[in-house]
Amino acid sequence: MHQTVKKQSVLDLLEAWLPKIIMAPTTLAMIVCMYGFIVWTGALSFTKSRMLPQWDFVGFIQYEKLFANPRWDVAISNLVVFGVLFIAISLLIGLVLAIFLDQKIRGEGAIRTIYLYPMAVSFVVTGTAWKWILNPGLGIEKMVRDFGFTDFEFRWLVDQEMAIYTIVIAAVWQSSGFVMAMFLAGLRSVDDSLIKAAQIDGASAWQSYWHVILPILRPVFFSAIVILSHIAIKSFDLVQALTGGGPGYASDLPANFMYTFAFNRAQMGIGAASAMVMLFGVLAILVPYLYSELRGSNRG
Amino acid sequence: MGNTSMSVGRYAIYACLVIFAVLYLMPLYVMITTSLKDIEEIRQGNLLALPAAPTLYAWAKAWGSACTGSECEGLAPFFFNSIRIVVPAVLISTLIGALNGYVLAKWRFRGSEFLFAALLFGCFIPFQVILLPMARLLATFGLANTVTGLVLVHVIYGVAFTTLFFRNFYVSVPTELVKAAQLDGANFFQIFRHIFLPISLPIFTVTIIWQFTQIWNDFLFGVVYSGQGTQPITVALNNLVNTSVGGKEYNVDMAAALIAALPTLVVYVLAGKYFVRGLTAGAVKG
Amino acid sequence: MGSLTISNVTKTFGSTEVLKGINIDIADGEFLILVGPSGCGKSTLMNTIAGLEEVTTGQLLLAGEDVTERSPKDRDIAMVFQSYALYPTMNVARNISFGLEMRGVPKAERDQRVQEVSTLLQINHLLDRKPSQLSGGQRQRVAMGRALARSPRVYLFDEPLSNLDAKLRVEMRTEIKKLHKRLGTTIVYVTHDQIEAMTLADRIAVMKDGVVQQLGTPNEIYDNPANQFVAGFMGSPPMNFVPCEVNSDGSLAIDTSGHSLSLMIPQSSTLKAQNIHRVILGLRPEMLTEPKPERVGDSVMALEMDFDVTEPMGADTIAIGEWNGIEILARLSPEAGLRAGKKTPVQVDLSKVILFEPESGERIR
Repeated sequence: MHQTVKKQSVLDLLEAWLPKIIMAPTTLAMIVCMYGFIVWTGALSFTKSRMLPQWDFVGFIQYEKLFANPRWDVAISNLVVFGVLFIAISLLIGLVLAIFLDQKIRGEGAIRTIYLYPMAVSFVVTGTAWKWILNPGLGIEKMVRDFGFTDFEFRWLVDQEMAIYTIVIAAVWQSSGFVMAMFLAGLRSVDDSLIKAAQIDGASAWQSYWHVILPILRPVFFSAIVILSHIAIKSFDLVQALTGGGPGYASDLPANFMYTFAFNRAQMGIGAASAMVMLFGVLAILVPYLYSELRGSNRG
Repeated sequence: MGNTSMSVGRYAIYACLVIFAVLYLMPLYVMITTSLKDIEEIRQGNLLALPAAPTLYAWAKAWGSACTGSECEGLAPFFFNSIRIVVPAVLISTLIGALNGYVLAKWRFRGSEFLFAALLFGCFIPFQVILLPMARLLATFGLANTVTGLVLVHVIYGVAFTTLFFRNFYVSVPTELVKAAQLDGANFFQIFRHIFLPISLPIFTVTIIWQFTQIWNDFLFGVVYSGQGTQPITVALNNLVNTSVGGKEYNVDMAAALIAALPTLVVYVLAGKYFVRGLTAGAVKG
Repeated sequence: MGSLTISNVTKTFGSTEVLKGINIDIADGEFLILVGPSGCGKSTLMNTIAGLEEVTTGQLLLAGEDVTERSPKDRDIAMVFQSYALYPTMNVARNISFGLEMRGVPKAERDQRVQEVSTLLQINHLLDRKPSQLSGGQRQRVAMGRALARSPRVYLFDEPLSNLDAKLRVEMRTEIKKLHKRLGTTIVYVTHDQIEAMTLADRIAVMKDGVVQQLGTPNEIYDNPANQFVAGFMGSPPMNFVPCEVNSDGSLAIDTSGHSLSLMIPQSSTLKAQNIHRVILGLRPEMLTEPKPERVGDSVMALEMDFDVTEPMGADTIAIGEWNGIEILARLSPEAGLRAGKKTPVQVDLSKVILFEPESGERIR
């Protein structure tokens, strides 16, 4: 079938450009709406914009105001408390459940489905549900009192000191099943012969987990920590739905602070500054992680 | 390790797994039972008790007449808002992601790997940092407080994920298939249509489920970029819960929360395998 | 109709030059084989012929027409891939006819072509199956069928047999040779298997580091390699390379099992005349055999050797001894009465030995 062929036609040229043409809208959107907007927000954080952006630069005044603001202080220390507890508890529960589930459990599929379903619902729904369960008058407190412990008190939701821990509870409920799934996938990828080798070397089940398997799961720990801290820093809807940041602003996280100042209080400059601080927080976790990931993939 | 201690250990493991399963299910159970009780029973009764006389009153009110701020039309209009946002946003972002992923996996050009890395990085940005400028952009184009505006926002920030999904899937397709098809005379779109699309059902399922869950459950973009009448269901649910006209009706709150959660829960139950695959794929690099 | 001229083709990826000026003229109907170690550029050359990669400089002529700038679909070239690259979702019939479909050939004609090709390759009974339901050998046939269906001007085969087991590989090798006889179409065939190269090719191009080291018929390449690399690459077991001092009379000094030998070789006079002191002696294992009375002559020399290891191969036995401290392979008859550690009488045929420059590896003629 010797067909006649033209020299490179216009169509061929178009064809050669197609991959770039297809990537063009995404590239443009990325440059403008991700990187451009970051620069925009960064610039805004150096102005005294309030209701509307205005472009006279005032240096670090907004950042000074931000860090002098007691509410931001609360938000940051809440983030530390919330982040540490949320990550630690989720990892612990996720790991234990994954190891238990990896023991050739009957009904594993069903159990896994139950552990993971909270991940499918919105944080707003989670917040609403737990707000009812933790309700001081009618929730767990009343339930335990009904059991006969009439002095039982459980009013964290309305307690300045304890409100942040209710957010930890709800967040752990929602995310720990997911951590379990990550660890389980990791455990399943461990070569069976390694475990057999450890057994032949005389290690007990506990020892082979501690000395052989957990070290192999190190990358999963890393990924889980990065993902969980990412969730923690971005947490907004859960707080909004569960405590509304209250009582007062006792359970605010940085994301809620940013929203309140940028959109409710018309303090754009401070809002922008707080967003930038959040971005750098994410970068501080992400850059070392991506760096080690990339180095790893270059080696492999 | 003796046999007896082995079996004792196994009982302990089963017990622990079951206790946790109960703990995970408890909030759902409480939501369902509470939503079926009347307010009197809620005040008198126990959190864990089954409803004495189940009633759909709370569901009807949450759907049709509960107040979400100043309006009292229930969640129904917002449920449909969410559908009007989710359907186009999921379809558009998935389609763009499929083509992007196809290019980034099989039609690399100078700088395409850098482009991918830059896009990947976008998956991690805390959205707070783009909220303000995006609000200005939407206002400039007259899209503030519109469904179209929300669709646009979800597409822009969803494409990074969908591209990642498809790219990672298509990378595992042998490049020889593309070469063979090129020699067979197929062009860029013919190769996509005849070779790639027919094998893409799993990744389309994963991506659509992921995007559906993300956008349906979104609160941040919804609360910032929607206005009266265009709010998605998550925002309406939050408003409903925080509106206290008369006495607090917890049964209505729970019914409303269940209505908001139902679509994603149904998807999870029907296609849990793909949901989990999306979670891990999105999580490992996102 | 299917002559192919590769003229001064270079290809660089970033700063690495993968092809460094390739010139090959392939006649219409010729079976040309590209061999070389991995990374030598043979697959890249193949891809540039197909149009899957652009050349950096140089020209490709197909039947006299310049096709350098043409996209793959406009070159009328078909390719069989190492991995077969069968479209996983299409059945065998559609795999074979896809190229015709893309070129707008009517359905009836396509079906007829599928019938012809599948009869030729004896895969009629597989037409409705998906690639995943086929064995390795069947996939191989389908991949060839897909190439045949379009009756292209040139076939490219990229290591087509390397995923098959040893027995099937020999079978398909014969099949490909028959097919070429029957169709008479130009074939360019990449392999790293030198037996495939020897058995199939009209001519072989041996490549290394992006350069064609030698282009010639299988016999030329085997008997008359251009340099030490080609000599070492072609032949199994490989040619022995023994570094030797040249005696003042032009003979080579060899030390084996404690004796010293002087080998007078056909090139001795040249060595003496050119005053060369060190060479590498190239000796194929089949030149070192048990004594064969019928082959005694000027260039045949008898000696005794110790063999440390023997590897019976059935038809003959490979025995490993030592010359000048280097392992040397001999190809002996199984009846040669070999015993490890015992002196064995052997003979060396020096008529076809080859000499190389120790530093450059170039031939000394």
